[in-house]
Parts: sequence; C-alpha cells; structure tokens
Amino acid sequence: MTLLLNRDGVLRIETSIDSGTSVADSATADGAAANTGVLRVENLTTELDGKIIVDSVSLSVDRGEVVGVVGANGSGKTTLLRTVAGLVDRTSGDVVVDGVSFGTARSGVGSLRRERARMLAYMPQLAESHPFTAFESVLMGRYPHLGRFELEGPNDRELAWQAMERTSTVEFADRKLDTLSGGERQRVVLARVLVQQADVLLMDEPTASLDLRHQMLTMDLVREEVSERNAGAIVILHDLSLAARYCDRLVVLHRGKKLAEGTPWEVLTPGNLRTAFGIEGLVEPDPVTGKPHVLLLGSENSEHQDLIGTGRTVHLICGAGSGRELMHQLRVAGYEVTAGVLGTGDSDREAAERLGLRYVSAPPFSGITDEQHSAHMELMSSADHVVLCAMAVGMNNVRNVAAASSATDLIVIEPSVREGDSEVETDTGVADFTDGIATELRRSLIEKFGEIPESTLLFELARSVSDTFSGGADVVD
Amino acid sequence: MQSRVFLLAIEYDSSVKRVSTGSTVLRRLFVGSLLLVSATILVAIVAASVGPFTVPFTHTVSTLLDLIGIGESIAKPTEQAIIQSIRLPRIFLAFIVGAALGISGGIMQGLFRNSMADPGIIGVSSGGATGAVVAIASGASTISTLFLPLFAFIGSAVSMIVVFLIASAGGRFSMATLLLGGIAVSSFLGAITTATIILTDDLNVQRQIIFWIAGGFDTARWESVRIAAPIIGFGVLIAIFVARDLNLLLVSEDEARALGVRVTMVRNTLLVSASLITGAAVAFSGIIAFVGLVIPHVVRLVVGADHRVLLPLSALGGGLFLLIADTAARVVLSPAELRVGVLTALIGAPFFIFLLVRSRARLL
Repeated sequence: MTLLLNRDGVLRIETSIDSGTSVADSATADGAAANTGVLRVENLTTELDGKIIVDSVSLSVDRGEVVGVVGANGSGKTTLLRTVAGLVDRTSGDVVVDGVSFGTARSGVGSLRRERARMLAYMPQLAESHPFTAFESVLMGRYPHLGRFELEGPNDRELAWQAMERTSTVEFADRKLDTLSGGERQRVVLARVLVQQADVLLMDEPTASLDLRHQMLTMDLVREEVSERNAGAIVILHDLSLAARYCDRLVVLHRGKKLAEGTPWEVLTPGNLRTAFGIEGLVEPDPVTGKPHVLLLGSENSEHQDLIGTGRTVHLICGAGSGRELMHQLRVAGYEVTAGVLGTGDSDREAAERLGLRYVSAPPFSGITDEQHSAHMELMSSADHVVLCAMAVGMNNVRNVAAASSATDLIVIEPSVREGDSEVETDTGVADFTDGIATELRRSLIEKFGEIPESTLLFELARSVSDTFSGGADVVD
Repeated sequence: MQSRVFLLAIEYDSSVKRVSTGSTVLRRLFVGSLLLVSATILVAIVAASVGPFTVPFTHTVSTLLDLIGIGESIAKPTEQAIIQSIRLPRIFLAFIVGAALGISGGIMQGLFRNSMADPGIIGVSSGGATGAVVAIASGASTISTLFLPLFAFIGSAVSMIVVFLIASAGGRFSMATLLLGGIAVSSFLGAITTATIILTDDLNVQRQIIFWIAGGFDTARWESVRIAAPIIGFGVLIAIFVARDLNLLLVSEDEARALGVRVTMVRNTLLVSASLITGAAVAFSGIIAFVGLVIPHVVRLVVGADHRVLLPLSALGGGLFLLIADTAARVVLSPAELRVGVLTALIGAPFFIFLLVRSRARLL
C-alpha cells in the first residue's frame, strides 16, 4: 500500500490487496459476478415531490452476504432502502426477490403483501415508542406468517423468546416500549426483524442508538443470521470502519447515485471519502481484523484558498515522534509540509509516509550521507518556513541540527516537558547523545532565533504570513 | 462465506430468565369477557327491578328467564309489562350505546396514537347534535319519533365525510389534518347549535335541544334497539376483524406496511366503522361524555394494549358502565331523572383526573 499526494493536495491511496487481509472479500466479489442474488435491484429511481432522490441505482445481494450502504446525510440511503422495502413508490426500475418481481407494499392484495413480508424484513431508523410490551412487539414479527384469525401459537412464542435471548432483551420482555430507552427499543425491533425470518434483511442504521458493545452484538447477529439462515442483508451504516468490518461489499451513495461499489478495500479510498463525505481521511488496515480502518484527518474545505497555509510550505526538522502532531496540524491548515532527514522505522517517518509528505529518509542509526544532506538542504531552501522540532539528537542525526544552523530564518520549538530522568538531559531540555555538540548548536540557534512552544507555531506562522502582505490583511480569519 | 467476524464477539447472555409476559390473547379475552358479562347480567337484573315502581328481584329473574324460554314468570302482569316494554329496551339501549362508545373510543385512541382521543374526535358527535337540532327546530321530530335519530345520524355522517375530505385535500391523507379538521368542524357545528338555542323563541324547543344534548335513554323503545343494534353490532365486528392490524398500525405505519398490513384500507375501515357506530349511538342517546375516553383507558391499564383484547373488552366495559350510570341516573333523584350524560361526566371526569394524577405520581 502506498500513499501519494497528487498535485491538488488530495491524498491518494494505491492499494494492492494483499491476500492476508481479504480472502473473504475477493471470494464474495466472485460470487456476486455469478449473479445468483437473492435480491436484485435494477436501475431503481425514486422521486419524492418531483425531486430525484435515488438515481438509477443497481445492486444485488447474494445469500449469505451482507451489503453495506454508506454515504453522507441526504445521499439517498434511507430512500433507497425504503423503496426496496416497498414503502415508497419507485419511479422506475425493478426490485426482484428470489426471482420474483414484487410490486410495492402499498399495492396488491393482502396475501401477496404478506408473502412479500415473509421475504423482506425492514428495520426502520427510528424505533418508535408505543404502549405494547417488548414481548408483544417482537411477536408482531410473526404477522406475515399467520392467517387472518390465527393466533400466535407456542411455536411463534418460542421463536420470539429465542430472538429476545439473542438480542438480550429478555430482561425487559414484559415492559412497555414507551418505558424503554432508545437503544433498548432498537434491540426489541431487531428481535422482531429476526422473528420475521425473511430472506432479505433491510436495516436502516441498526446500530444508531446503541452503545459500542451492542453495536458489535447487533452486527454479529446480522452476520450470524445471514450465514445460518442463508439470507441476505442490506445494512445502512454511518461508521465506515464498522461497515468495513462487517460487510462483504459496500455501496457508496452520493447525491442519489451509486458512486462506488465493491469490497471495503476497493470502495473506501480517500478519494471516495472526499467525494461522498467531504472528509479528509486515511484508510489503513485494522491491526486486529485486517479490514480497512478509516482515520479522520479533518473536514474537507471546498474553498482551499481560504485555508491559511495554502500555497506555503513548511519544512520540519524532526525525528523520534517530535514532529508527528505538527505534520497533521499543518496539513489540515493547508500547508504543504516537507521533512528531513528521517530514519527508517522512525515514527515521524511513518507519519510522513502516511500523510504523503515529501521527505528525505535515511537508514536507521547509520548517519546522514552527503547526498541525503544536500537533498535535505534543498528541501529546506525551497520551504517558506523551517521549523526545528524538540527532538532527541544522536550522532546519526546531528547533521540535521547543523543543517538548521544554515537557515536564514528558523523557528525553534521548545520541548513540551522538561523532565529530568535521563543522564543525557541537558539545559535545553532536549536529550543529547552527542557529547554536547547538539546542545551547543541548539543553544546558539535559540540565542539567534528564540524559542516558541509547539502550540503557538500556527499563530507564529500566520503572523509571518500577514507580515508579508503590506497592510497586514485579515488572514487569520 | 467464511468472513464471519467473531474476533471480539460477545456471547449473548442467555442466563436471564424468561419472565411471565401475561397470559395469551385468548385467555385474557375469555376471563375478561366472563367477568364483564356476569357483572352486566347482575346489573341488568337490578336495573330491571329498581325505579319508581319497584319489582322484587325474584319476580324480575323469573320474568327474564321466562323471556328466554326457561320456566314461567311468577311476576304480576303489570310488573311483566314494565320490565318488558319500558325497562328492558332501556337496558339494552344503554348497553349497546355504551359498547359503541367504548369500542370506538378504543379505535380512535389507537388510530391517533393518543389516549386522549374520544369517539367524537372527528366531528361525529357535534354533527349528530346539529342534525338533532335541525330535527327539533324544524318540527320534523314531532312528525315521527324516528326523525330525530335519523336526522342526528345524517348529521354525524355528513360531518364525518366533510372532515375526511378536508384530511384528504391535495391527494394525500393526513391523520394530523383529520384531527385538526375534526376540531374545526366541531367548533363550527357547536356554534350553529348554540346559535339555534339562543335565537329560537320557542322555549319548548330550547328545552328539548338542551335535553337531547345532555344525553339520555328516557325515550328508549324496542324500535330504537332494533335499529341501533345491527348498525353498532356490524361496526363492532368489523373493528374486531382488523384489531390485529390496528396493533401494528399503532407501532408504526411503516413497520405495519413492511409486515404486510394494508394500512390505508385498515385505517379507513376503522375510521368509518368507529364513526358509524358513534353516529348510531349519538342518534339514539344524545351526547354522552367520557365513556369513550375513560373506558378504553381503564381497560388498557388492566389488560394491556393488544387491540384483539382491548376492543372487545372496551365494548363490554362501556356497555356495563353506561348501564350502571343510566340506572343510577334513574334512581338517584327518583322520581325525577338526572340526564345520564350529566352523570357520566360527573363521575367520569373526577375518576379520569384521579387516573391522570396517579399515573403521573408513578412516573415521578
């Protein structure tokens, strides 16, 4: 996996799917191609009040498969799901369940509607409050399986109890729904959906009001249900990492259209995140599951000209984690950031790599070669500002501090904590493994340029920007 | 499909005991009906015995048994005549009107998802009152005794249709507009009724209108029972037929639809049958307050919200309550009579306030 920064400043990820993380994902993709879907949605278009909300979306769900639908608020996720569930009239397109093309739930005779309800279960976004007990409302999921005057039998009651055990709602089985919390109600509705025993589960943010434990419990249940009963599921989720973890495939909606579809790795790219959600994000493997994990950097600003750092470059001389935080902050503020010289395996180097910065790197503990040094000098001279971080200095990177001395204008960051537990602790507060050479150099730099806390760097940079404009335009705003 | 993610899977807790969630629908229905029907029979025997002319209980019982073909009455012919042609029709009418108000109150509370809804919420009662006012003021009620209930029923039906049309304006039906339309139409019709009372010179007409509005069964005859019973009975059957759909509708329209309920059909059926039976009740009894509001509320507290149990028991409970209220209205000021509509409000309102205060106290 490599990260690149393109000329627009957009983060790009190029991923080669490594076999270790996504065997299941690619297997699923193959399955989908075989087109044995239990649910097929073909060119579905839905208009509400003359406005197109869902715009010719096609997708299919296999038996045993969980498909996640993600997208920003107003992207048409809920309307798509409601149209598939037959709760909203579609303008065009088709919904085919198990080879049968159904009308909407708003039309047709009662028996056809009940047949439809045996195949499609719908879980709404909001679990309504009402005066029935939890047990009674779970039992209502049996409605499509019962005749007009048929009462719920022992079998139906047993199924309801099982579903309540699985959703851990047994303890409030005899409590009325309007006395339960939102999350508890949502679990009761989940139990009702399970009791319906449909072929396809359509779930609109089933984890919305749940705590973390119950979010996982719920998604585990969905997976369990889908694989044990060989059903399919479409799940709308807002938590992208949760979606990546539990869904075989993801569909990204953007303004009613399908922006992307595929395995989580294929779909969750910084580019898609930016287009669909307007966020700057990074995608990296979850250390435990190996599934994509989305890191949020900040919200994308549509008018980059307004960012304070746009068009300006800051060079960081850092190492051993002293510059990570600043890299993020400067990037979000719109600065182009360069760094040097960073050893392989250094945590600052990892951060620079992830953020797609230009930097000079060197093998660990091996000292800086002339070649690397001159590359570093070049980066420094092309930057608008050079910042020396409060980094520990050893013989391997002492040349970085020397390089800093050659800068005409330098900002020196003071160490955040001056703790004295190390024998290499110096009066500048920065660890020195160079027999005082680095400390000597740093002290002279502080004398020349002064020293500022890390937290004030962005203000300092902003001020220097406004100084360059005559009249001191209102830049900070 | 082997991509199940159970790395951090949390086992669900199956150690929690399954608690008792009350008895099944049939059991609740059976026990409730048994209690209410027995109580009704007892009250009916009392009601047939007491009054300005008191009949001994033994005479009453034997007369009633005689009527259903068991044994022979030991009562005097006068007693038999009073029971058969004066007290029994009144008992029957009070019971079916109470049943009508109880069940349609339950239906409206379910449909509007609000336990403050009553049978007249969509303007049926005030429509009936206006129809009655027209019949009395125009003198039509003096031509035939059936004209008053006929006019009242037509008034109910017309106001129901008007409110329906208001709620369907623009091609999309809305329950909120139905409620607001009902309130608006009710106020409008109420103004017409008040204006008629104020503007008429005939004191007798004024007195008749006020009497009718206060509600009562003093004019009850077998003929009224024969007309009202089929209408109300039909409405009650229809309502019980779709009671389960009403359960799902009360949860959420979307979920009901997703589970296969014909939402529009069920809702319209219930609105029409509730209005129909309320209209029939109002036509033969005038306006009787609080039965339709309090009875379903109390029944719900006892048996829960399942309409398959709630609606039939609200009908039985409403019938029993109104029978008790009417009997009390006959005897408390004997030989004078208190209007039953006045009595139900006098008893019903404080009782309802008591329930409200108690449920609030429980919440706090």
